[in-house]
Amino acid sequence: MMPAFQLAFRLFHLALLRCASLLAPAKQRAEWLREWDAELWHVQRVCAPADSLSWTAEREVTAFCLGAFQDAYCLARQTRPKNMAHASLRGSAAQCILLLAALLAASAVMAHLLPGVRAERSLSSRHVSPGLVQIQYEDKDDGSPSTISPRQYRAWRGRTQQYFEGFAFYRVTEESAGQKSASIGGHEKAGLRVARASSNLFALLGLPVQFAVPDRRGDGNLLGVILSKDAWKRGFGANPHVVGSTIRVGSQDARIVGVAPEDSWGLPGNVGAWLLQPDSEIAAGGEGYVIGRLTSEGKAAMWTQCVRITAYGPGDSEDDLMGFSIETWRPGSWGVYLFGLLLALLSLPAITSVSLGDYSVCSHKHSWSQRLCRWSFLSAKIALLLPIVYFASLDLAYGYLSFGPAGAMYIQLTSSFSLCLFGFRWVLQDQRQRCPVCLRTVTNPAEVGLASRTFLAWNGTELMCSGGHTLLHVPALPTSWFSTQRWLYLDPSWEFLFAGSGTGMESEAISGFSSP
Amino acid sequence: MASETKLSHTAAIILQALDAGFVYGFSIMEMTGLPSGTVYPAMRRLERDALIRSQWERQSIADAEQRPARKYYKLTAAGKTTLLASRKRYPLLERLVPSEEAKSV
Repeated sequence: MMPAFQLAFRLFHLALLRCASLLAPAKQRAEWLREWDAELWHVQRVCAPADSLSWTAEREVTAFCLGAFQDAYCLARQTRPKNMAHASLRGSAAQCILLLAALLAASAVMAHLLPGVRAERSLSSRHVSPGLVQIQYEDKDDGSPSTISPRQYRAWRGRTQQYFEGFAFYRVTEESAGQKSASIGGHEKAGLRVARASSNLFALLGLPVQFAVPDRRGDGNLLGVILSKDAWKRGFGANPHVVGSTIRVGSQDARIVGVAPEDSWGLPGNVGAWLLQPDSEIAAGGEGYVIGRLTSEGKAAMWTQCVRITAYGPGDSEDDLMGFSIETWRPGSWGVYLFGLLLALLSLPAITSVSLGDYSVCSHKHSWSQRLCRWSFLSAKIALLLPIVYFASLDLAYGYLSFGPAGAMYIQLTSSFSLCLFGFRWVLQDQRQRCPVCLRTVTNPAEVGLASRTFLAWNGTELMCSGGHTLLHVPALPTSWFSTQRWLYLDPSWEFLFAGSGTGMESEAISGFSSP
Repeated sequence: MASETKLSHTAAIILQALDAGFVYGFSIMEMTGLPSGTVYPAMRRLERDALIRSQWERQSIADAEQRPARKYYKLTAAGKTTLLASRKRYPLLERLVPSEEAKSV
């Protein structure tokens, strides 16, 4: 009686050989398996003892069985003609889908790698709370964003406002900042552009904060500081545990309460950190920027992108101000792409026929699976084409050169439109030239008939499916009785010309078919 | 021509082993130390090039010894000619697989 472990190994080795045999050609499989079975019997007899378990022996037998995979593969390659693999793949639906998938991967990878494209995509995904304006003096005409004193800001906050329901203030200063806690690792102090901001700035703007911890003012009256993603990476090695630790900003200690996502800050001033201070602690010294959130009445008073404001400053002085919307409207890359796509779809009938040809002119009935395959293939091509165009248009518009936002938008629109238009044209033309049975591209065009005899017989081009299923007749001059291309289905008696013969037999078939 | 066929060293060792009397795939593996994934595919190629030929053992012999029948391989005339040419190309071939050892098996 064979021990259980030995039986298990025997079965495992036999299973390996059965699996390997699937690689061998069907005609030679039985003999191939018989030889390996016989060899395995001898290997087991020599290597594996009958009544004891030896891992080394079983490993040797397993290694022997694994060699069967190489042998079966070698036999399969040896049996198959060299040009057969190429012939079966050439012009096939699989080749077309693989090519499109490769194009999609290449364009997506490029879009991911090109810094310009990444910046544009992150900009498109940036969302600012609606109804936010940046307030500046009306008579400021040097083009730079105006600044307002903290005293004026505090005066506005203290009054009941008709147009505004909230204000935030920030002022950008160059300060030294560095690690205080020794447990995080010794980072040296470095110069950092710090925005000393009112504590409600991020809440008012609606900006997200990563790794956020509660801002506990009770901790020895420490201020909260939010780091920019860039400063967090450069100064703290992108260490998430740095949040909650204490750093020194200028002459003050502050506790890191979060990290702002990359490219989330779209307001004036290139900022590395935001030191959140209560209004009472904002120094009266330098001027800064004021952001206000409009009430519904304020939103109603807005025209285009700005609102005129009359404000009462300290000492009841009247100031004329303008509020400019932060949320400047610009079409995102996705919107531009969709517009290009829409234009291409509208223009498509002008450059090509949207018909897929005549499948029903003859009595040949297509099975539902053939119809499903044909439509699935068409859908797959379109589904792959659309993201290819999107990524390629982004690569072209934002990839290499800086055209400016408007220039890049026009380039994206033009490229989306052109690529969609010619892409759809190719999809339809390609579909029209695919055999309805095997979806291979028809090949070997042959001129049939004479142009001078158009009214007596048809003349045009005849193409052939390399699988021998169909002939495609395309009229040179559409007539009332032969307006679109037609498929002629060959009966199975033709198959002997094509089956397993590779490309060699194709030429033989051409000579038989092409003579009118 | 077969005499002009230049074999790889592995194929030449296998031919030499066959000539020395190791006529089964596993015995060639044992003799040469080559793995199964090398020996069997090499023998397929040699058979395709008509340098060796295979033949199944008679079932009655296998039945008498209570084991499965084996396929054994033999050099063809072209194989012998190629082996002679390979011995000139690889002078140490005969020392790697000596015929005497085969006789003692």
